[in-house]
Amino acid sequence: MKRDQIEELLDKYWRCETTVAEEQLLRSCFMETDLPDEYRCFVPLFAYLEEEQSPRLSRDFDRRLQEALRHAPTPLLQKRSARLAALMRIAASFLLIGGIGISLFFITRQNNHPQYAVGNEETSEAMEQAAFALEKLSDALLMSEKASLETIRQIDEMKIDWELIDSLSKEDPQQEENSLKEMEDTGTRKKSEGQQQEGAEAGYRKPLKREARI
Amino acid sequence: MKVDSFHTLILPLREKLFRHALGIVKDRAEAEDILQDLLLKLWSRREEWEGISNPEAYCYRAIRNMSLDWLTAAANRKNAQSLPELEERSFIDSESPHSRLVRKEQLALIRQCLAQLPDKQQRVFRLREIEEMSYRQIAETLEISEELVKVSLFRARRKMQELLLEQEQISDQMMRNASE
Repeated sequence: MKRDQIEELLDKYWRCETTVAEEQLLRSCFMETDLPDEYRCFVPLFAYLEEEQSPRLSRDFDRRLQEALRHAPTPLLQKRSARLAALMRIAASFLLIGGIGISLFFITRQNNHPQYAVGNEETSEAMEQAAFALEKLSDALLMSEKASLETIRQIDEMKIDWELIDSLSKEDPQQEENSLKEMEDTGTRKKSEGQQQEGAEAGYRKPLKREARI
Repeated sequence: MKVDSFHTLILPLREKLFRHALGIVKDRAEAEDILQDLLLKLWSRREEWEGISNPEAYCYRAIRNMSLDWLTAAANRKNAQSLPELEERSFIDSESPHSRLVRKEQLALIRQCLAQLPDKQQRVFRLREIEEMSYRQIAETLEISEELVKVSLFRARRKMQELLLEQEQISDQMMRNASE
């Protein structure tokens, strides 16, 4: 590149009138070996810019990124599924209550209706209806049993520290001790200890017991 | 931000964003980690990004903030004094140890000068000279007017010019003294 060309470009550069392309051109000029001496003093600046532009991502960056993207959690979906799970739980309980309610409704309605056994046909029809209602009720009860078992299992899986919750409801530890002593006196303590141990061993059954006690 | 715009708009910026992070944290591995973090975040929340008018400017701001956060965290870990230095980049083999030393000194001089500039000028200078952005892009990235971009760049370049001319005078002086 000619001297006056460099001169002109450099002037424009200091006045901030160069385009990005012209600045690239200027930079490459300053990297050349046949640069006129009077411009040598500006070499460090352009060498610095060249240097700062050179670092590149390591070659396996893209591969690692792809890998990470594949395993990237999509928080939006996760949030949604969590919300969905909660909704499902609520829906299940409504279904259960609704099921019992509807069965009760059918039964009571059928009981309230004055039934007159006029003919054989009608009797058998009424019997059939009653059987149907009972069947529904038993289905609903079965479902409710299943659902409550499922709920219990879920609660078990949550690994709730019952001891801790119990200790929260204890108002006065001293009182508790006293009552324990009383129990010991009456010989019931052993039994409760045994129960506790059993509960600790079979964590699965523990909440069931609790339910039973309640 | 749709999957397409992630690939067409964001991914092509990764080299530039990497250099931007590297300019702040001065550590290749950390800069890459920060960049990956940013890209993952953008990817996982791509559906929320419809409203962003200028993704490029947004990315620059985000990577800058993340890099600065990393620096703060590093300082808090009291590792600040042992922050890894910029890696030595391989120079051309023909370069003699002397010219390598001179080059290193020259680069240090520019870095020093750049560090003395006000923050805004430094940022404008980097975005223009290293990231090769247009004035408009810089204005959008830094959320300042184009006019202010030009003024800042003008001042930064002038400072460089003055410094380099000054250096030349000093070295001339030294040469003359040596010859006398």
